[in-house]
Amino acid sequence: MATLKAIRRRIASVQSTQQVTRAMKLVSAAKLRRAQEALLKDRPYAESLSRMAGSLLAGQKMEAPPGARRSALVTVITSDRGLCGGYNANLIRHAEEQGAELRAQGIEPAFFAVGRKALEHFRRTGARLAGQQINNTPRLATLELAGSIAEMMLTEFQSGQYEQTAVIYSEFRSALSQRPTYEPILPVHPGEQPAEGVAGPTEYLIEPSRAELLPVVIQSYVESAVFHALLEAEASEHAARMTAMDSASNNAADMIARLTLEMNRARQAGITRELMDIVGGAEALNT
Amino acid sequence: MADAGLPFKLITPTGVVFDDNVQEVTAENPIGEFGVLPQHINYLTSLVPCVITVKLADGGYRFFVVSGGLAEVKDGVMTVLASTAEEAEALMDGDTASRGLVAAEERLQNVSFYEPGYQNAVKAAQLARARQRAVQMRGAAR
Repeated sequence: MATLKAIRRRIASVQSTQQVTRAMKLVSAAKLRRAQEALLKDRPYAESLSRMAGSLLAGQKMEAPPGARRSALVTVITSDRGLCGGYNANLIRHAEEQGAELRAQGIEPAFFAVGRKALEHFRRTGARLAGQQINNTPRLATLELAGSIAEMMLTEFQSGQYEQTAVIYSEFRSALSQRPTYEPILPVHPGEQPAEGVAGPTEYLIEPSRAELLPVVIQSYVESAVFHALLEAEASEHAARMTAMDSASNNAADMIARLTLEMNRARQAGITRELMDIVGGAEALNT
Repeated sequence: MADAGLPFKLITPTGVVFDDNVQEVTAENPIGEFGVLPQHINYLTSLVPCVITVKLADGGYRFFVVSGGLAEVKDGVMTVLASTAEEAEALMDGDTASRGLVAAEERLQNVSFYEPGYQNAVKAAQLARARQRAVQMRGAAR
């Protein structure tokens, strides 16, 4: 049985761990709130844009440039830091599954790693790495990052380097549930016209011309889609970390309770042993 | 219907910046400046970095500097989607705006047409020009 002193030391160590996990939980909760707000604020923009893109592209199909290579550029958005439960592992598993599926269709996937965790994984497995973007702290979802990823996607797609591009990110459903999602970005196929009693696409006067407007709309659309994925990923990361740190704090509390019990038992055993010694000594003197 | 005004929304990825009934909105697309009055035909265009002038229902003006985007009029409702929008009131003073413009134009001078950064430099210069214009217009409107 462990000595009293050893148990006390372990309790102290678990307590300081608990302090850390508790603090991380609080920090994540605050960041989650901010990320959720940002997610909400992006909604009107994303909705209007996809409506516009939808009515402009209605009935048209955007194809990969002829002779494009049979390959796909998959951007995987993970976090830089760990201690967020299964968040990164789930994303990476999903990425590998999608990669296998693409290969089964004869399409060679290349990964663009956002976040240190994805980069480390793809380096280890030796997957084809198209690029990386790490150290996305303190904020992941910035317009600059979305813009640079979108630009890369568009240039690579237009040059025929890839016949499709997609992002894998964690969809934020609630603080308790995040789901890895595979979202194709290019070629663009905006949602069908919403069936709100609208008969056919809206007729517009378009300036300068459809041909000149289209690239602008597509660029904005891709940027917005990437930005949205980043926002979802950021909220999911904080939610996952909050949940993980909450259960870590609870586990620490359980462990402290168990150790305290053990400590008391050890102390009582010590006292009993000493009493026995004294009683035994007294008995010896009496006889 | 005649004086119903023009519902105008200015939306960026970080939030809705403006949403109200107004009298008139002017902005700039690749062809030049254009104005939108109530009952405009359905219209879709792209915006260059420019100043968006909003004539409010009470006759006052508000100025926004946008870094480019899309503008749409649909069923009498005007929507501008911009990647960034800043209000002239919140903008820097005239001196800083002029200095920003000088710096941006200098940078543009030093980038050749064939370099990858050229388009960005053009945009930055346009944006700086729009900023300065917004500051001037704000001054004139006072």
